[in-house]
Amino acid sequence: MPRFNSLEEFQKYRENLSKKKDPKQICISVCSGTGCRAYASEKVVEALRQEITKEKLDKVVELKTIGCPGFCEKGTIVVVYPYGICYVQVKPSDASDIVKQTIIERKIIDRLLYTDPKTNKKIVYESDMPFYKHQRRILMANNSKIDPKNIDDYISVGGYTALVKALFKMKPDEILNEIKKSNLRGRGGGGFPAGRKWETTKNAPGEPKYVIVNCDEGDPGAFMDRALMEGNPHSVIEGLIIGGYTIGAHEGFIYIRQEYPLAVENTEWAIKQCEEYGLLGKNILGSGFDFTVKVHRGAGAFVSGESSALMSAIEGKVGEPRPKYIHTAVNGLWNKPSCLNNVETWANIPFIVNNGAQWFTSIGTANSPGTKIFSLVGKVNNTGLIEVPMGVTLREIIYDIGGGLPNGKRFKAVQTGGPSGGCIPEKYLDLPVDFDELYNVGSMMGSGGMIVMDEDTCMVDVARYFVDFLTEESCGKCVPCREGLRQMSRILNDITNGRALPEDLDLLKELSEVVQMSALCALGQSAPNPVLSTIKYFYDEYEAHLRGECPAKVCKGLISYVIDPDKCKSCGLCAKNCPVNAITGGKKTVYRIDNSKCIKCGNCLDACKFNAVSKVTGRNMVEVTPSKR
Amino acid sequence: MGKEKTKSHFVGVRLTEEQKRTLYNLQKKSEMSKSDILLRGLEILSEYYALGLDKPPLSIELKKLEEEAIQHIKALKQIKQREESVKQMIQELREVDEIIDEYNGEKNALIQILLKIQEKKHWLPKPALIWVSERLNVPMAQIIQIATFYKAFSLEPKGENTVKVCLGTACHVRGGAKILEAAEQYLGVKSGGTTPDMKFTLESVNCLGCCALGPVMTINNDYYGKITPPQVKDILSLYQRENLILTSEQKKIAPLAYKPTPQHG
Repeated sequence: MPRFNSLEEFQKYRENLSKKKDPKQICISVCSGTGCRAYASEKVVEALRQEITKEKLDKVVELKTIGCPGFCEKGTIVVVYPYGICYVQVKPSDASDIVKQTIIERKIIDRLLYTDPKTNKKIVYESDMPFYKHQRRILMANNSKIDPKNIDDYISVGGYTALVKALFKMKPDEILNEIKKSNLRGRGGGGFPAGRKWETTKNAPGEPKYVIVNCDEGDPGAFMDRALMEGNPHSVIEGLIIGGYTIGAHEGFIYIRQEYPLAVENTEWAIKQCEEYGLLGKNILGSGFDFTVKVHRGAGAFVSGESSALMSAIEGKVGEPRPKYIHTAVNGLWNKPSCLNNVETWANIPFIVNNGAQWFTSIGTANSPGTKIFSLVGKVNNTGLIEVPMGVTLREIIYDIGGGLPNGKRFKAVQTGGPSGGCIPEKYLDLPVDFDELYNVGSMMGSGGMIVMDEDTCMVDVARYFVDFLTEESCGKCVPCREGLRQMSRILNDITNGRALPEDLDLLKELSEVVQMSALCALGQSAPNPVLSTIKYFYDEYEAHLRGECPAKVCKGLISYVIDPDKCKSCGLCAKNCPVNAITGGKKTVYRIDNSKCIKCGNCLDACKFNAVSKVTGRNMVEVTPSKR
Repeated sequence: MGKEKTKSHFVGVRLTEEQKRTLYNLQKKSEMSKSDILLRGLEILSEYYALGLDKPPLSIELKKLEEEAIQHIKALKQIKQREESVKQMIQELREVDEIIDEYNGEKNALIQILLKIQEKKHWLPKPALIWVSERLNVPMAQIIQIATFYKAFSLEPKGENTVKVCLGTACHVRGGAKILEAAEQYLGVKSGGTTPDMKFTLESVNCLGCCALGPVMTINNDYYGKITPPQVKDILSLYQRENLILTSEQKKIAPLAYKPTPQHG
């Protein structure tokens, strides 16, 4: 492929591409995101390819691997275009049916269709599924249309038009104004207006300047950045080039966490293609603007997602935050002005440049315009990635899109914002979701993880989980975070083990406030959020734990397993599955659990087919928990 | 070369093949006649007896010599082994060199270079680190600081298969901890440990980004989603004999063995 040296050459190429594109072209697209790969989607692709060759349809049918469309719950997802028929949970063995029945005989295969759990009706088209119907897909819309490894696909759906517009029709100041007017807020968590950040870097003294993409998506339970970086890396690169042009930077970095190998692969691939096409490198499309991008792989440290820590990681140092008396926008990478934004923020840029700030502000709420991608996970029927305008309520997200909670369980809380966020109880289900509203109820937007919890989740255990997570991930540079979190973790572990005293709760609160006030970086300052929000909304659960009860029957120190003699059929399955031989019994005798040996793994509960095994807590416990340490 | 005559008798004594050859060589070298050799031999023999060098001391001497020779051979073997390991080390350092050259020996690329070494060797051997320190002109302390700060690095050899159990929030609420426990029980090592046979290293990770499939376990690059504790044993046992039986082709089919259970929340 020759390099495009001028705008005309590029435009001509795009026209040719769209001319070549046949709207009636039959195309089978298979999701190849990490989620579907776990369901062996690569095997599905291979099987389809063989089947197509067998039926001699190579020239008629196009087989495409696409990025993550979001509905990971039902992977592997296969969509047959131009009909738009969507098959879910496809296995390699289904390949021959898809080719023979759908492609050749034009029949829809019933068993592969999605069944709406509410109405029990089969749904043929993607757009009719409740999961997709209530979404507004802008950033993720192209994920299901393009092969992330093929730049032509991106160009043919209008990719790099925003870059062309920015480079040839707009001055950097105009773009900056547009971004400022759009009030695009950083999607990484803080919600700082991107336009203001850009302006600071642009006006800061010092050369060279840098632009950086933050794809160190460390928040457990969030994977929208992965999906974008894997499924549509070009949209992020396009945004980054525009940012570089606006700010006056000629070098960009994409920091991707090490746990996302596919994202690294696809991004590196995309950069190579851009360089070949002349969309990156010297004199982009003959505009005179030079820009290069490098991928920097993270090495596994949660704290590296913090801006100053991320920059020192790129410098090849230990990723520890530094005090930010001077913002990284002014004094960042190699002490030069550096503009760091999240993947999703960068992906928004081409849309704003193309459609204008007014279009952008018409979506979402006044203070938080635009859409936001959330990863809806945990105890919810339709897990996956969803893109909705800001301001929709939690209820709409969880019940309309997410399809409610599985197994008829009761909703207890939704955790947003990762380890820095908080748990939102049922009474706030009608809260419109945007940056400020979430902050007001003691949580935050974070990068957009939304973890639904049902009645079987213990909120104290959740708080303990997050504090333990952060204790492990704390870089140890500042004392409040390193020592404070360790002590908080101790108290929480005591509470969940039934060894805590009532005054420990006050100490926990006090510690939380100190850490909040005195920690060095945002990670430490927001670390007590899960504790404080659960204390605020689920105080009764903490009290119950102090009494030696775990209402959700999760905390191991406060539960024991018992076998109901009336239900036990003496089948011995429980004893067979017990790893420590704590269960004894025999033919015609009821089995019983020896609590001195039991390690509370729960294998017996899972194994029993007669529901004879149950968990008990508090006063009903057989064994008395050991007293205070 | 013409046929050389070798005598089968020497002054009436029957000779063995070896003696014949020695005699022939002696004759050829010294250009002495048969009787001269005989006389000289007798002379030596008499000297030998005269000096009292009887059989036992001689054999002791010989034994000593033999032992010495054995020790020399041992030393030689050790030297050879060392040579081999040095050669291997050179080979390894060459690989490291290639990686460093990929990044033009830039100091800033230190983390990327270490990541590549980790990927290739599954751990960071000390010679490699010393070499990186030399080449990039970065103090060893800084390298160790990085190698211990980031989770991706290991300063100890790891097992052939890396088992990662996700303990991210989504997996946590779906019982990720139970999966880890089951894996710990089966492998007999705690999280972070390596089995004595160097087959498995067990680790926990904080989020693999496929939360919709929770709880998730990965072995090398194979993802297993929506698994239950009893399945852990079956999955791990696949890899236990993997080296002998499972081909890479079969390994790829393996994830399919566990279909997602529709009711699993």
